[in-house]
Amino acid sequence: MKKSLGAVFRKELIHILRDKQSLFMVLSMPLLMLLLYGYAINLDMRGIEIVVSDRSLSPESRELIRHLEATEFFHVTVAPGGVSDVGDLFRSRKAQCVLEIPPEEGPLLLAIDASDPNSASFIQNYVTRVVSLSAGARAGLFTLEPRIFYNPDMRSAPFFVPGLIALILLLICALLTSIAIVREKETGSMEQLLVSPVKPHQIILGKVLPYTFLGFFDGLVILGAGRLLFRVPVEGSLLLVMAMMLIYVVTGLSLGMLVSTMAGTQAVAMLVTVSLTVLPSMLMSGFIFPVFSMPPVFQLVSRIIPATYFLEIIRGILLKGNSLADLLRPAGTLLGLDALLILLSIRAFRIRLE
Amino acid sequence: MGRIKALVQKEFRQIRRTKAYFGLIFIAPFVQLIVMGSAITNEVKDIPLVIVDQDRTPSSREIINRFDAVPLFDFRGIADSPVRAERLINRGEVKAALVIPRGFEGEMIRGLMPEVQVLIDGVDGNSAGVSLGYITSMAALIQKGWASGMAGAGGMEIIPRYFYNPGLESKLNFVPGLLGILLFMMTTMLTAINIVREKELGTLEQLMATPPGGVQLIIGKIIPFTVLGLVQFSMGLIAARVVFGIPVAGRLSLLYLMTLLFIMSTLGLGIFISTVTSTQQQAMFVAWFSMIFALLLSGFFVPVRNMPPPVQILTLLNPLRYFMSVLREIYLKGTPLRYLLPEAAAMGGMGLVLITAATLRFHRRLE
Repeated sequence: MKKSLGAVFRKELIHILRDKQSLFMVLSMPLLMLLLYGYAINLDMRGIEIVVSDRSLSPESRELIRHLEATEFFHVTVAPGGVSDVGDLFRSRKAQCVLEIPPEEGPLLLAIDASDPNSASFIQNYVTRVVSLSAGARAGLFTLEPRIFYNPDMRSAPFFVPGLIALILLLICALLTSIAIVREKETGSMEQLLVSPVKPHQIILGKVLPYTFLGFFDGLVILGAGRLLFRVPVEGSLLLVMAMMLIYVVTGLSLGMLVSTMAGTQAVAMLVTVSLTVLPSMLMSGFIFPVFSMPPVFQLVSRIIPATYFLEIIRGILLKGNSLADLLRPAGTLLGLDALLILLSIRAFRIRLE
Repeated sequence: MGRIKALVQKEFRQIRRTKAYFGLIFIAPFVQLIVMGSAITNEVKDIPLVIVDQDRTPSSREIINRFDAVPLFDFRGIADSPVRAERLINRGEVKAALVIPRGFEGEMIRGLMPEVQVLIDGVDGNSAGVSLGYITSMAALIQKGWASGMAGAGGMEIIPRYFYNPGLESKLNFVPGLLGILLFMMTTMLTAINIVREKELGTLEQLMATPPGGVQLIIGKIIPFTVLGLVQFSMGLIAARVVFGIPVAGRLSLLYLMTLLFIMSTLGLGIFISTVTSTQQQAMFVAWFSMIFALLLSGFFVPVRNMPPPVQILTLLNPLRYFMSVLREIYLKGTPLRYLLPEAAAMGGMGLVLITAATLRFHRRLE
């Protein structure tokens, strides 16, 4: 009993170790993605090209220009004579915004190239901030005292690294298991295994376990590299993180098994896994875009995606120092989804066997 | 010439016979555009917010009413204490909280500038920054309203004007970008897999053994896939117009010219991948890998100028980066060719280099 499980496990391990190319991919891809996400995704804008058309030439306007030049947000070009064609300036991409200071008292006009709306609202925010700064301590009625929790510098790495763990765990567990099982189907060796005295559940377990370790190992590598390279904190208990990772690994594996019952060839398995699990988990789980801002329909979809809950859990533990008591709801839901997926894949497998 | 014609005919016949292509070209762009175009939004709105009102005066109530009325915030009610608000943030139930202190109205009347605390969940740094920006401008707006009754409340006012996208809708930015991504995915992957399949089946060796060699073979592959790419792109254009109501502001002919150049570079990449891999599985892996790289370094999610300088240099090698800005420029701003010459040269040059490299590798394999 134990022995046959071990044999299948060993066989799968040999398969993995023999396919050097795939093994290399599995081990290097997470690190590469970590580096890319860590360095390439930076939502802070710097060096915004701003043209200031100063038609007032007053001490106040010069003070304002000095303030704009002093921040790292802006790269200022002063056009003393004014700007004749703002549209041409935007189309040639020489400026992202044009600030016009009128000759007399009056409101400043700020033209922004809003073809990237996100940047446009950032630019408006920055300019407003600098202008009010340069106008001196305005006679306001009250002040705001912001306190940013958990990630005071609002860096993107602490946000993306936990998300990347979720994505990689899913990618490896779901994709590799489905391909590994379908490969046996394609080559016909699955039928042989099934007629051998090894029990079906032992075959599946034996095939799935090596990938569990692989996925788990990759998750830890990202966590460690994220900590070393991007100073991602681990506020909560590391043990809890690992326990939750295990639960999530099971999710990925059962998704992979489910896909393997549907797909007949490796290429199809790959396409189905990517389009049904990886893409939705990437786009609708809150990995990049906040769930609360999505259209209501997609918010509903995000509720049935396991990654949504895992992201909440792992970000909670790593950044907020949440304990298990804080995470009962998402952890419970994730376990429930796990149970459902396992039941579904066992059923699907039985039907195939008959 | 006749040989190329024969090869192209063969390719089209195979494409027509494969049912999957039909779905890939005519249905997939619509579905993907609809789903991704409406799901992907980097607008931050409906921010869950609670307010702690320790003052309980008309002023504090007005602040609450103002925040309740704006759709940018999803006002979740009053929290009893700052501790309770912090707890809600910690459990992820709200993303921001305001604390109006006791004696707020009184201090304001006496000109003592009371402090309103803003608590923000900073886990998602970007959303946190945007939320803080909204709250700051809301506070400024409220103060302006209150101060207008009083004398001497001036300060500089800014009137913003948003060009090309007055409603700041993110779909205007993402949908044209998606067209580029879909085109990249299809042309690169299909070419790579198509050629590798012929390699796997052994038909490529047979074709190459016949008199005029690699160059014609590659041209015979390029023509049909260029046509497929253009058809798919046109379907995408129609979908963007019909489903999302986004028209092309610039010249359509210019857009197609640029698309042609882009397809050259992606086909070159696809053919190149096919020469360095030997099974469909491997080709798929490599194609996916380059997809992810291209996507992240294209400026689709994050503007290239936000990236650190070394990464910005890396993006210069990415054909999708050029096409991404070309698409957005022509689609939204109607930018003429003279401002897009660098992009055109980069894409064309890359296509030329990749196709030449692939052809040379083809020849070498033959010897």
